[in-house]
Amino acid sequence: MNLKVEQGETVAIVGENGAGKTTLVKHVTGLLKPTSGVVRVKGVETTKASTAQLSRSVGVAFQNPDHQLFSESVYEEIAFALRNFGFSPQLVEKRVTWGLELFGLEEYRESSPLVLSGGEKKRLTLACILAWDPDVVILDEPTVGQDAIQKERLAGTIKLLGAAGKTVVVVSHDIEFLWPIQPRVVVMKSGRIVADGPASTLMLQKDVLEGARVSQPELVTFYQELSRRPEAPFVDPSEAERWLK
Amino acid sequence: MMWLSGGFVFRKGNSVYHRLDPRVKLLISALLFTTTLLVRSIFQLGLVIAFAIAISAVARVLKRVGRTMMLTATFSAFIFAVNIFFTRNLETSAIYAIRFIAIVVSTSLFFITASPDELEQVMKTFRLPRDVVFAFVTAVRFIPVMMLDTLQIMDAQKSRGLELEKGNLFQRVRNMIPVLIPLVVNSVIRSGELAEAMESRAYGAVAKPTSLVQYKARFADRVTALAAVLLFAAGVYSFYFVLPTYLP
Repeated sequence: MNLKVEQGETVAIVGENGAGKTTLVKHVTGLLKPTSGVVRVKGVETTKASTAQLSRSVGVAFQNPDHQLFSESVYEEIAFALRNFGFSPQLVEKRVTWGLELFGLEEYRESSPLVLSGGEKKRLTLACILAWDPDVVILDEPTVGQDAIQKERLAGTIKLLGAAGKTVVVVSHDIEFLWPIQPRVVVMKSGRIVADGPASTLMLQKDVLEGARVSQPELVTFYQELSRRPEAPFVDPSEAERWLK
Repeated sequence: MMWLSGGFVFRKGNSVYHRLDPRVKLLISALLFTTTLLVRSIFQLGLVIAFAIAISAVARVLKRVGRTMMLTATFSAFIFAVNIFFTRNLETSAIYAIRFIAIVVSTSLFFITASPDELEQVMKTFRLPRDVVFAFVTAVRFIPVMMLDTLQIMDAQKSRGLELEKGNLFQRVRNMIPVLIPLVVNSVIRSGELAEAMESRAYGAVAKPTSLVQYKARFADRVTALAAVLLFAAGVYSFYFVLPTYLP
């Protein structure tokens, strides 16, 4: 495969189970090293840097938050990576407080991360990543176990990160979640990229999406159905969305 | 790590050895195990390991037993180092270290050729309590899941800047804390969920359930079991009265 993601881009990687999405992400973080070909993160070949070195600029929130939470308190959980990266105690305090406020976790500051709900744990893992301000943020299935409100907030955070110039890579099956973010969409199938383009055009190609066992957003399907009727000539799905609202 | 752990996990096979009655496979492993405790020299231990390797070849699991031996070799080296430090005797230390490899190989031979279902049936034939059998077999079934969990946790922590291979031995053990805590917590959560799922599907509703599968030893199984016992007796006799010995 050949994939280049520019700084500040928001990219969604979609595809069926076993398509190679998580494997691709692990190559970016250096957890896997290529046996052939080259993977470069900010110009550095991943084979020439350790995962710890790469993780300073690439933050990954893995699918299952229970796979990373271990500290005595929520505060210590966020501080863990910062201390690994050698941040000063003052900066650790500042960054952890910022992370707690951003994700509404201040009241759990001294609580054990293990007593949090599924959604709160997920938010905590995001706070853990964003606290050290990585240039690239990778979210692996961020909507698993999240309710509608939390999904909306998460979409807002992703947009915010994009606006702040961060490169955001979202691996997700949740096509409805991705649609409002309007990212660049990379469709994967059997370890290959079968389609790559902006959500506004790629999501319209039902055949391409279904070929990779990805469903179309309901709004897009609705728009396409309405477009067949001459009395409702919408230009694009966004116009249909505006009309609906 | 997954590659090494494969040496302990059952995979379906179609060899003559796989087709044996699981009780016979257990008998062979038990006899091999006992023999390793009775041997008295490196040469004799070598013979036992060679015999275990021959069985692995028949069972077509040679590569996987090789992995078991590779993984065990690390602990074996530790045993050797501790013994040489305290006993200052090269041969005794070597015997203890190699014996450990032989013990693990003989037991893993059973676990990689007998499915968890077979293991369950074998344990039931010994009239062990049902809950004990279930707990043990479930633990065996969950080994691959735990290994996968471990890898995922290690990946998650490494991507937060944790360097597992950094520092001296003490620091490396400390570095494992962020891996071990989520692993234990996940295991406890999973066991609770499993218990609830089992109870919601009427586990324990029948006081003395019968088994769908009832093992009956075939002629080949009886012959193999007899040959194993005779070989064991001949082996032990030769170790004590024929072959050279070292340990008293």
